[in-house]
Amino acid sequence: MQIRRNRKRWGKVWLLVALLIIAGVVLCGCYGSQPKGWSGATAADGRLFVGSLDGRLVGVNTSDGSPLWLDKEAGTLGTSGSNVAIYGSPAVEGELVYLAGYNGKVYAFVSESGALRWIYPREGNLNPIAASVVVSQGKVYFGCSDGSIYALDAATGDKLWSFETGSKVWSTPTADGDTLYIGSFDKKLYALNTGDGSKRWEFEAGGAIVSPPLVYENAVYFGSFDRYFYAVDAASGSLRWRSEVMGGKWFWAKPVIYNDAIYASNLDGKVYILDAASGREVAGAVDLGNPASSAPVLVGDKVVLATEEGDVYALDTAGYQKGLPIIDVREESGDIPKSTSRRIYAPLSADNGVVYIKAQTASEGVLYAVDVARQETLWSRSLVISEGD
Amino acid sequence: MEWWNAGPVALMINTLVALSSQLFGSFGLTIIILTIIIRACMYPLTAKQLRSSRAMQGLQPRVAELQKKYAKDKQKLAEEQMKLYKESGVSPAGCAVPMLIQFPIWIALYQSIIRVLAVTPEDLLGLSRLLWSWPVVYSVLPLNSQFLWFNMVSPNPGVAVLVGVTMWLSQKMVTPSVSDPQQKAQSQMMLWMMPLLFGFIAMSLPSGLALYWITSNIISMVMQYFVIGGWGSLARGGASGRELRGRIVQAEAATPEAAGADIVDSSSTPKEGVDEGEYGVKRQLRGGGHKASLKSIRRDSGRGKSHRS
Repeated sequence: MQIRRNRKRWGKVWLLVALLIIAGVVLCGCYGSQPKGWSGATAADGRLFVGSLDGRLVGVNTSDGSPLWLDKEAGTLGTSGSNVAIYGSPAVEGELVYLAGYNGKVYAFVSESGALRWIYPREGNLNPIAASVVVSQGKVYFGCSDGSIYALDAATGDKLWSFETGSKVWSTPTADGDTLYIGSFDKKLYALNTGDGSKRWEFEAGGAIVSPPLVYENAVYFGSFDRYFYAVDAASGSLRWRSEVMGGKWFWAKPVIYNDAIYASNLDGKVYILDAASGREVAGAVDLGNPASSAPVLVGDKVVLATEEGDVYALDTAGYQKGLPIIDVREESGDIPKSTSRRIYAPLSADNGVVYIKAQTASEGVLYAVDVARQETLWSRSLVISEGD
Repeated sequence: MEWWNAGPVALMINTLVALSSQLFGSFGLTIIILTIIIRACMYPLTAKQLRSSRAMQGLQPRVAELQKKYAKDKQKLAEEQMKLYKESGVSPAGCAVPMLIQFPIWIALYQSIIRVLAVTPEDLLGLSRLLWSWPVVYSVLPLNSQFLWFNMVSPNPGVAVLVGVTMWLSQKMVTPSVSDPQQKAQSQMMLWMMPLLFGFIAMSLPSGLALYWITSNIISMVMQYFVIGGWGSLARGGASGRELRGRIVQAEAATPEAAGADIVDSSSTPKEGVDEGEYGVKRQLRGGGHKASLKSIRRDSGRGKSHRS
């Protein structure tokens, strides 16, 4: 009898402990999300490169989406099966494709085969890299969560210089001539000399800067977490204007410019159309109905935008009408089944009138090629490459 | 769960961010201050819960007697237990209900801290959906995650140890000293298991969350100090040895009818003043063994009833 009572008591205690563990795991698992990544696609010379959700550089032909390589080890970031999150889009120059991982490493792969050419740093890791690398004039530039901006030799991966900001850098830099522009969480936009990393000037906005800057006719345009959009002089860093209109939420993505009008999407689901010279609204903001965190792209005279929910619009720059979606990535397309959980976070890219869209569920990335003029999906494919491909 | 995120969690997140802007952008300081404010607002519930659990502990000797007496008749045992609780003016739900009411608030605060820390880009993007149009909220983010010697975004072993230590101290304060070996083993296991478990979890979570646990544990200790009128079992850490056995022998000798039953160490309730606020009395138990404790409880519960009527 006594033994049975003891067993009951101990059973209750262990049940309580088990419940506590489960509650802890559930609470931790649900609200501290694991980094998944949202790498976009980059087209060059008939090839398209994109980072997949399983931590690989995937290369496909732009004509039909067929893979450039089938070797499972090719294009892999980190060790096989480690699933490194990739937030940046690949950068292509010459025969190499450059890509940064959230594991704090930058990789250079051979575009033909996906073979690894170099890796930086060779030993250990930097802090997470949450943006794209940029290649210009033989140098690779990127910002890092350790608050620094790095320049590497594009051919060898050797470090050339670094510049320290006051906080994390999650913005993609923009290189223009011998100047590199990049924003930081410390609310500042920096202009650096690409030769030695020395600071030319800095401009302080009212909030953190994640949006990659756009350089156009001696001005640098960028949005900030203070919900304003800014234009500063590219040479001196002095303020040209701050938008009169304030976004409903953060400016997150890189804007595009067409006919002296800036198209800046905001996380409030609207696209603000501002005059590049004055910052005044050219037209009322276009409401997409859902947040747009992916960067828009210019195709002809259309600004192609995607909402997180999966609708892609070709905004008419004459009448500023968004029209109907040119594609809804939640719907079935070719071999890709319908999925209501498919989202678009990655920047869009375009080449020869075709826009490339990377959509993703929690576990699988899907690539779409859409002819904007004809509003026709040319092909779509999963980024999980199998031998059957 | 859309309403949960848009309601309590969003309220907590925006309060955290707005408060942070007033506290030099220090998220660490914000966590501490908001935890203090929320725990202070919930003080009446916490106090009620503590008092109820103390009253329940005081009744344990009589419950043990009943368990022994009606060991073979479960229905009768249940009836007698309910009768005892009713007579004593103690409700078993008095411990659980206040805790259940507080639980959603703790969870909301917990989730808010995790979300505001925005460890990954997905977290930061997701956070933007929960922000309200308060002018200060948008520009102050992302918050400075450095606090004292640690970065609140990543786990820190020292902070995790502090979680375990403060939780152990907090639990130790309210752990009753019992003589029954089974109960003692049980309470000892719980005393160690919870701090070890939370310390272990804190080793793999952002230390901002651990900071919340540490603050919460320290506040619990302060509240317990005022509600139970002292440091509880912490102050009598050494009394559990020979002194305790001596008291048990005395108590058994004084109450032959209770011999062999589980005996609550008189020092678990007596030396401190137990504020029986919900019964309208301030009880000052002075120890002296099991029988004295029971008399005191009966007397107090009688007062409680008359007070309520």
